[in-house]
Amino acid sequence: MLRLETVSVQYGPVRAVRDLDLAAGAGALIALLGPNGAGKTSTIAAISGLVPATGRIMLAGEDISRLPVEDRIKRGIAVAPEGRRIFANLTVAENLRMGAALRRDATGVRQDTDRYLSLFPVLGERINQHAGTLSGGEQQMLAIARAMMSRPKVLLLDEPSLGLAPLIVARIFDFIGQLKAEGLTVILVEQNAAQAMRFADQVCVLASGRVSYRGSPADLAGADVMKLYLGDAGM
Amino acid sequence: MKQDLDTAPAGAVAAPLPWWGRALAGGALAALPVIVIGLIVLMVAPGWVQNLTAMALINLMIVVGLQIYSGNSGIVHLGHSAFVGLGAYGMAILTTPLVMKKLSIPNAPFGLAGVELHWLPGAALALLVVGVIAWISARVIARLSGIAATIVSLAFLMVIHSVFLHWPALFKGNQGFFGIPKLIGLPELLLAACAVILIARLFRESPGGLQLRASAQDQKAADAIGIDSRALRRHAWILSALVCGLAGILFAVFSGTISPRLFFFQQVMLTLAMLILGGMASVSGAVAGAVILSLVLELIRNIESGVTIGGVTTPALLGLSGVALGMVIVLCMALRPQGLLGHREADDFLEKWRVSRTPGRNDRRDENATR
Repeated sequence: MLRLETVSVQYGPVRAVRDLDLAAGAGALIALLGPNGAGKTSTIAAISGLVPATGRIMLAGEDISRLPVEDRIKRGIAVAPEGRRIFANLTVAENLRMGAALRRDATGVRQDTDRYLSLFPVLGERINQHAGTLSGGEQQMLAIARAMMSRPKVLLLDEPSLGLAPLIVARIFDFIGQLKAEGLTVILVEQNAAQAMRFADQVCVLASGRVSYRGSPADLAGADVMKLYLGDAGM
Repeated sequence: MKQDLDTAPAGAVAAPLPWWGRALAGGALAALPVIVIGLIVLMVAPGWVQNLTAMALINLMIVVGLQIYSGNSGIVHLGHSAFVGLGAYGMAILTTPLVMKKLSIPNAPFGLAGVELHWLPGAALALLVVGVIAWISARVIARLSGIAATIVSLAFLMVIHSVFLHWPALFKGNQGFFGIPKLIGLPELLLAACAVILIARLFRESPGGLQLRASAQDQKAADAIGIDSRALRRHAWILSALVCGLAGILFAVFSGTISPRLFFFQQVMLTLAMLILGGMASVSGAVAGAVILSLVLELIRNIESGVTIGGVTTPALLGLSGVALGMVIVLCMALRPQGLLGHREADDFLEKWRVSRTPGRNDRRDENATR
């Protein structure tokens, strides 16, 4: 579904991502792990088109590397950005409408709204509230539901568990698991390695913009992960 | 759970209207105090009060026009008076009788000294000129956000004002352009003000308006969901310019005389203060600010020239209205930067009140927003 070939991101003299290769099939969940500054968020920004990148990004066989953000969204890339970034002064309903900003099928949009409100009933209860009045967990649910409103094939999730209570994190990961089971490809950036590894099909550990480990979560025991985070282990 | 994005889904608070229905109903509610005040003035007030009310309505239209761009994009616009001036001068040049033009602008270029149009094509052409200049300036301004856009809008005002002043053959320079046919009175201005309020509310609630408001809150989040903020800022700038231009056209045919200083800093600061007072983010706020500040400033102007209360006459306090205008901006920015209404419309308050009376509600609107 999604394939990255030698993708690099450069900010001035700093190379945030270096020749990254990645492949994720339909329904796969790839966890990008690594310390701060490893290039995880830059990888997501490169896939979504929010930062310029070199290399090739293929979505369902089509090269989307040169497409602007809106065209990538139309083809099936969606981002739930770090820090949720919901629109605090808009209502929950309006936030969901924003997620479907590029869609023209009003009926489909209504159906999807119903679906995500039934999956996150708490959002349905707060539908006309300003999103800024939601709790952190509810805001994260809204951020994911908003991203899903564009009917993506690939969901890019940046730190969905940041600052949330374990119970809420578990609920959010259950939901991500459900989307994955329905065939959605998920690229998940997480600091919470244990949680990410529970759902991931493949784990990719980044360090200084390069892949320092790639493999199944089972191969990556807790202690090793710590080593990788500290930079002791290579490929 | 059957819920509709446009018709606000079933939940604690149900709003059964599509966005345009909500905009029209909400706009009508915001216009209601204007209509009530306007009708009372029309029926019982003397001519000088009607004139003051007419001027307040023109200011209200300018404030609402300003809100269309600033309120939705979050960018302070200091150049809107240039569009008011362009509309007014456009109308003056195109519709002033030839006999008056021989006195005022006998050497007007492009054969305009010999043009006298009926008010309708004249107004349409004046609006077209405003639209074209807005479209050209939008190419630059929409690329910018924040303080850069504000500074460019101010530079735009300076350029247009300078053209008004230094092209006397067309604009009559620093002198007043007189002889414009006085075609309208308070009833027409009242209708126009209501129409402008509805237009602004329709834009605010439209998908584009909503997307622009979203991008003003969080540009990065808007980029991530594919919102074209630049195009939306362009549309808002042009619509705002057209509304301000319309206010200028109406001003010209109401007062019969215009001059460049009327469309410069004083008007910019007055209308900006009105918008800041009421709340930039909502059309109802723009209306409330315009109504309240018009009344307060009129009261202050009376005090300015000295009043007699219980046999005691207060001294004249010249310049008090200017001080008051500045103080409104300072106090608002210090105490309530979001203005009186914040980002809520009048119908939002009505809805909140309605919900608060509904037993068993599950509404946490006012709970801590930072959780």
